[in-house]
Amino acid sequence: MIDQASTATATMTPAIAVNNLTVSYGPVPALLDVTFEIPAGQLIGVIGPNGSGKSTLIKAILGFVKPDFGTVRLFGDVAENAKGRVAYVPQRGSVDWDFPISVQEVVLMGRYGHVPWWRNIGLKDHRIAAEALEMVRMSEYRRRQIGQLSGGQQQRVFMARAMAQGADILLLDEPFAGVDAATERAILDVLERTKKAGRTLMVVHHDLATAAEYFDALILLKQKMYAFGSPDAVLHRQLLSEVYEGNLRMFADLDHVGVSP
Amino acid sequence: MIQDIWAALIEPLASIHFQKALIGANLSAIGCGVIGCFIVLRRMAFLGDALSHAMLAGVTAGYLFMQIVFGVEAHALAMIIGALLAALVTVGAISFVSQASRIKEDTAIGIMYTGIFALGGILASVFSHRIHIHLYDFIVGMVMAVEDGQLWMMAIVCALVLSIVILWFRQFQITSFDPIMAASIGIPVMAIHYLLTACTSLVVVSAVPVVGVILVVGLLITPAASAYLVTNRLRTMVLVAPAFGMASVMVGLYLSFWIGIVSPGPMIVLVGTLQFLIVLCVAPRHGLVANWWRRWQLVPQQLVEDVLGFMRHDGRNIVPMREVAVQVTGPPQNVRRAIRALKRREYLEEIDEGLMLTEAGQLEARRLLRAHRLWETYLQHVGTPAEQLHVQAHQLEHLHDEETVDYLDDKLGHPLQDPHGSDIPEDFVDLVPGVEIKASLLREGHRATIVAVDKAASGTPLRKNMSVTAGPRDRNGTRWTFITPDGQQIALDHDATDAVTVRLEDQH
Repeated sequence: MIDQASTATATMTPAIAVNNLTVSYGPVPALLDVTFEIPAGQLIGVIGPNGSGKSTLIKAILGFVKPDFGTVRLFGDVAENAKGRVAYVPQRGSVDWDFPISVQEVVLMGRYGHVPWWRNIGLKDHRIAAEALEMVRMSEYRRRQIGQLSGGQQQRVFMARAMAQGADILLLDEPFAGVDAATERAILDVLERTKKAGRTLMVVHHDLATAAEYFDALILLKQKMYAFGSPDAVLHRQLLSEVYEGNLRMFADLDHVGVSP
Repeated sequence: MIQDIWAALIEPLASIHFQKALIGANLSAIGCGVIGCFIVLRRMAFLGDALSHAMLAGVTAGYLFMQIVFGVEAHALAMIIGALLAALVTVGAISFVSQASRIKEDTAIGIMYTGIFALGGILASVFSHRIHIHLYDFIVGMVMAVEDGQLWMMAIVCALVLSIVILWFRQFQITSFDPIMAASIGIPVMAIHYLLTACTSLVVVSAVPVVGVILVVGLLITPAASAYLVTNRLRTMVLVAPAFGMASVMVGLYLSFWIGIVSPGPMIVLVGTLQFLIVLCVAPRHGLVANWWRRWQLVPQQLVEDVLGFMRHDGRNIVPMREVAVQVTGPPQNVRRAIRALKRREYLEEIDEGLMLTEAGQLEARRLLRAHRLWETYLQHVGTPAEQLHVQAHQLEHLHDEETVDYLDDKLGHPLQDPHGSDIPEDFVDLVPGVEIKASLLREGHRATIVAVDKAASGTPLRKNMSVTAGPRDRNGTRWTFITPDGQQIALDHDATDAVTVRLEDQH
């Protein structure tokens, strides 16, 4: 059940197609004329300085904001009609880890969108949730309250929820923020496995030093899209200094990860 | 004695006022408890307080409207509708101010509810000659004088609120936990928020006659907060919170009756607060006592390992419990606790004559032994005086996670013996048939299939998919030997051996 969703439509239409997207909250657009296409089954990083429109882009793909101009299509459908095909994985800092809820219940939330409000969660939904938990290897923790997990395990729970949602596209907001190196590895492993299962992942990321290593392709954003392509092409010193406004000190140590001079 | 208590419990029930108070207070405690859970989880306690105060203006307005327009005194329904309207206006004004300006929500709440509360106060003063009920009753409650109409109202509110929560439980849960995700799967987050606010207004209206405007937030959030401390499940929480609420209203009512207090509202809320403090102390998982207990129960890992080490060292199959307690240094009750902890982990088994290591226990003890001997070798390697080796290694062996031990093992060139000449156990955690490892982990006699040969060993006859047997190492352990299928013996140094990846074959 979990796997069937991805393969059928994956081949031809791009998973995410953003076309001339312009979004504004005031006179200054938050996103201006952003265009890119992401084929299915890729792990894409979105990088850019603070306030560069990364979260606006995520919101637009989720269908939360109405574009001033341009379109977002998910597997050919406009974003508003594709609710449920795209899952959002929140930043760890924004989750209330003391909430009285178990791992299993969080994953079951992924099924809420598939069950009308007058119906109970069915056996099939429980099975799908159990499969998703199995996939991220968290089955044995299913009765734990979510606060009693390590950082990597917490991330895995939310990945499982996204899978249980049956979504083909996963949007992750800074999954690597504030975790130690070992957890970072563990999270990356989950992302890779999810990708192998045919999902498309779009990850907001802030650490330029690891961006090249983690992602198939990068989107460099600051209001406009400065670059989109392989990490080698995007992590270009001149490009970065333009986007980060000459603040090169912060990636002085980038040379060892292969930034082109 | 028991009859006295029985009589004391039965006596107040003779009064119809007490009966009605009991029914009304319980009804509103149920609604408040259930809704309170969501208020607590969404951190909306201040909004609950604001709504209860703003209601006073609505009640006054409803009263005056019916009195002036229709000449009806104290029309219950009009006062309720007035209260709900006032709550609605307050919520609307709060969201308007916090969305249209840079003012944050808590400040907006403070501004708006005090303003509307003040408006109610002024209305009440200006028309004081027309108002023939005691507004004081609204402020501290008047549950002993609750009327049938109000009881009906409380019953209907309770039923309505329970139905709403049961019907939309999932929606309330998900919007409280993760509103963004809820919105992304098409759940109307704002509609649910307003539904919850409406429910809050309703339960507040039903609770004001019981504890009064000022204290209503106590009945709303205190039982829910107590419930929050005793459970990790929302479903349980919404069942436990009303139970706590009912307990505090009943205890509060009886206490007031026995002491002879006319308005039991403050007593009810005080009982609720004390109940919360007791729960805070004794809650099974999140309580203070439970925390102390857990910390006290914590057996020092070192002691646990000392017991294991002693058991293994002793060599006898079964060691009398008393001997263990005497031989292992440490406070006796801690040693006993360490033994209990080991039994829980199924490392130790107790039989009539004493304690015995289980299979898992022996393995764990062997793992510790390996750590100890590797640490000793390491200490010698870095120049620690011989007489300190054992003592320091004894302290360091508690750093025995696999990664640390493997690091030492590799750095020391996978030694076979420690400085005292005792054998160091092989890396049996990684030496499992089927698992890919570096060839340097193999001990004499191990058979393995080569999976990969890296550069440092490419000059050797070793090839991928070749099956080799590990031969003996030379005297100081720095050269490995492997025997190929055609009987050739190949010697490699540490680096070259590390360049060969093998898969251990089943030894049988």
